[in-house]
Amino acid sequence: MTKEVFKIQTLTNNKRMSTQELLQLINSKIKEGYTDFDVQACGQHNIGGSSWALNPNEELHFNITNPGQRVGAMALKGTNIYMEGSAPADVGWLNSGAVITVNGDCGDTAAHCAAGGKIYAAGRVGTRSGALMKHDPKFDSPEFWVLKNTGSFSFEFMGGGIAVVCGWDCDDYESVLGNRSCVGMVGGTIYVRGNIFGVASCVEIINLDDNDINFLTEGMKQFLSQINKSELYEELTDFSKWHKIVPMPQNHKQTNITVAEFRKNNWIEGGIFGDFIHDDFVVNPLPATSEGRVHIPLWHGDNCVACDICKNTCPQSAINSEDKKYYTNSENCIGCGICEAVCPKNCWEIISNRKEIS
Amino acid sequence: MQAVKINKLHLDDLPWIIEYDESKCIQCGKCSASCSFGAIKPVVELRRKPSGGLQKPSFDRLLVIKQQVSFEHHCRGCGMCSRVCPNGAIKAVRNPNDRYAVRYRAAKADSLKKGGRSNLNTEGRTLDKIKIGRISQMTDPSLDAARHQFELRTPFGRVLSADKLGLHNDGGKMELSTHLPPNRWIYPIILGDMSIGAVSWRMWEAMAIATAYLNEVMGIPVRMCTGEGGIPVRLLKSKYVKYMILQIASGHFGWNRIIQAMPDMVEDPAGILIKIGQGAKPGDGGLLMASKVAKYVQEIRGVPKADLLSPPTHQGLYSIEESVQKMFLSMNAAFNFRVPVAIKVAASVTSVSVYNNLLRDPYNIVGGFFLDGLAAGTGAAHQISLDHTGHPITSKLRDCYLAAVHQGRQGEIPLFAGGGLGQTGSFAADAFKLICLGANGVFTGRLLLEIAGCVGNETGKCNACNTGLCPAGIATQDLCLTKRLDIDIVAQNIVNYFIATDIELKKLMGPIGNSTLPIGRSDALITVDKHISNRLDIQYIC
Repeated sequence: MTKEVFKIQTLTNNKRMSTQELLQLINSKIKEGYTDFDVQACGQHNIGGSSWALNPNEELHFNITNPGQRVGAMALKGTNIYMEGSAPADVGWLNSGAVITVNGDCGDTAAHCAAGGKIYAAGRVGTRSGALMKHDPKFDSPEFWVLKNTGSFSFEFMGGGIAVVCGWDCDDYESVLGNRSCVGMVGGTIYVRGNIFGVASCVEIINLDDNDINFLTEGMKQFLSQINKSELYEELTDFSKWHKIVPMPQNHKQTNITVAEFRKNNWIEGGIFGDFIHDDFVVNPLPATSEGRVHIPLWHGDNCVACDICKNTCPQSAINSEDKKYYTNSENCIGCGICEAVCPKNCWEIISNRKEIS
Repeated sequence: MQAVKINKLHLDDLPWIIEYDESKCIQCGKCSASCSFGAIKPVVELRRKPSGGLQKPSFDRLLVIKQQVSFEHHCRGCGMCSRVCPNGAIKAVRNPNDRYAVRYRAAKADSLKKGGRSNLNTEGRTLDKIKIGRISQMTDPSLDAARHQFELRTPFGRVLSADKLGLHNDGGKMELSTHLPPNRWIYPIILGDMSIGAVSWRMWEAMAIATAYLNEVMGIPVRMCTGEGGIPVRLLKSKYVKYMILQIASGHFGWNRIIQAMPDMVEDPAGILIKIGQGAKPGDGGLLMASKVAKYVQEIRGVPKADLLSPPTHQGLYSIEESVQKMFLSMNAAFNFRVPVAIKVAASVTSVSVYNNLLRDPYNIVGGFFLDGLAAGTGAAHQISLDHTGHPITSKLRDCYLAAVHQGRQGEIPLFAGGGLGQTGSFAADAFKLICLGANGVFTGRLLLEIAGCVGNETGKCNACNTGLCPAGIATQDLCLTKRLDIDIVAQNIVNYFIATDIELKKLMGPIGNSTLPIGRSDALITVDKHISNRLDIQYIC
């Protein structure tokens, strides 16, 4: 049964229907049971968006020419939009299930925030396309198919979904994703055919596996038939030219060599002062023993009565005696000066251990 | 019994008093062993045993830690004792009755010397009273600081205006007919400006390693100024010298070795900085106390072990014009006009005259103007200079920038500002605000010391860099003390701090919507202080 197509000419007698008038007209006709629309637009926004058929078993169909921005914005599953020719910015903005086909180029931010449905673009798409795409696992993954290339900064902050950039007619392009694409991308997959340059460091470019090839093989047929370019199938399914871009795993951290390794491996051998002073680069604890002591004790035995007070009081047990001669074990002595303090006969003297490097 | 004389230096005259709790002390001796100033010592004290007067008095002998009272061995409040004490039995406490400065001068007939920084902060910080208040929202989008690609580099070197470029039409092709002054695009933060001698060899090498690492591994093109204490020949002959700005000050220390090394150098240095003055002690020359003139410092500087006093001026320079003709010309000639040559002066009410004069330099050989504010640090200075001379950086930087704007010549001689940046915690915020006020970049030395573990502060803690007894191993040439410093950790911490600062600078650039450095974007700044608003020509808000 052929359904009646409701035709809307938005420019009559040089008078343009406003966006509000057009959208309200469409919705009132949907409530009357219409499902198919032919809209000869005049730059009106949001055509085909946030609408659903009166009968839940039916789908909406829009044939649109000359639309304004945000065609298919906030469109639901069961909405089918076809545009002959190009469309301006924000095609499929927040698309939540519609199948949107643009048989031409798209403006900037195509498929922006798309979280469902499919968007098919038969040409080039503008800057920031595919940005913030998402995938809610309770619904089918959004798909965004582009025959040629995207502008710069595309797929920024992408959180989920699948994008396919076929790179057809792009041989002269340095990058089919423009420059600085994928910045902040944390989820989803982008399949790309052709040159890639300047994508953000938070993603990795890897080779396709069998699942990817199966997906692209199937999806490509549908895409090309949707845009009437089935003759390109052979060319675009030569998977040697394809890569996929996925975000780096969250726990992936760029690992640089440590500064200590840099000093050891890259820095001037032996240190910049190594030709005239010798430093072993050992780090002394606080307080230090041996040569690292700030103060060192000296024993003068003339008055010593061998009372052993110093020996018994030394907190580091660093004092020994032999034949009434006392000496410190520098491996233990920290130079605290307690021996000097407790000796009743002033036999210990604490002197500064200041010295220069040689 | 030893009688006490009232004119003798007393504990209560000292700036810091050791608070010691003998009931917590386990007599491990770690505190006295760690004190590089010899300010505390174990001693035996007597405690009278209670007898009720029925017996002759008797005493317990008790081992305690006692503070020394002398000009040579007084406590600087560095806190190493409390750091090593296992029981929290000891700490240095600021003495509100401190009369040390008076007693020192009265006893020694000499000016008081100090290291570190000024401890007389009476004005509060202008930069803390400025906020970044012009946020891009609907007018123009703010940038995502974490993800946007920012360009943070700034020119170092003379920038010619278009009409001076000497471009001519050569058969339809644009050609340059003149030699362009050398220019380097560098990160807007310059490190160092501290000499070998003022800081230990480990500290100096750690800064050099951090600089090289930031460039080679992180791709952050910071440059380090060597200070004027010579440069190790190994560094001069290495590829890393390209990250070094060589300094020449009035002492001309170490230049013999630089000149001798020239034929073997594989890279040009990043630049040359002629130091005329420094913010911490403007109008005074460099000072390196003999205690820090170690043998290797003697060698590299070509001097004996003695207090090294540089003259307050470059001898032979008598005017701004002459300094351009002689000093700038010579330093440009040193590397055959391939290396930018800048000048550093202490901020002063005369700074604008100097800057204006340099802007008129007919030879285009003045590659940068570094202004150093009074809150800057120093290895050693007379305290009177440190506390009472100088000019804050903020208004003078602004004056110089606006003087250039007035002539339509801003940016031709890049301005760099320093002196006390990062003092209240955020170096990036200070840098950003100065850049908005007209600086092309900033420089810092003292911050690096704090990153390295310096315990000093603006309220008198430690600041004993002049003694050569730095407890952190930073401002010393003593082997035992320097060995306290871990060269790898210091270098790593400097690297980490700059990575953090890089993130923070972008966090400030994003909201005002700048992809590139907001040099002179004073419209981004606001202040609640009417005087600051008037003086700096930024928006007053309330």
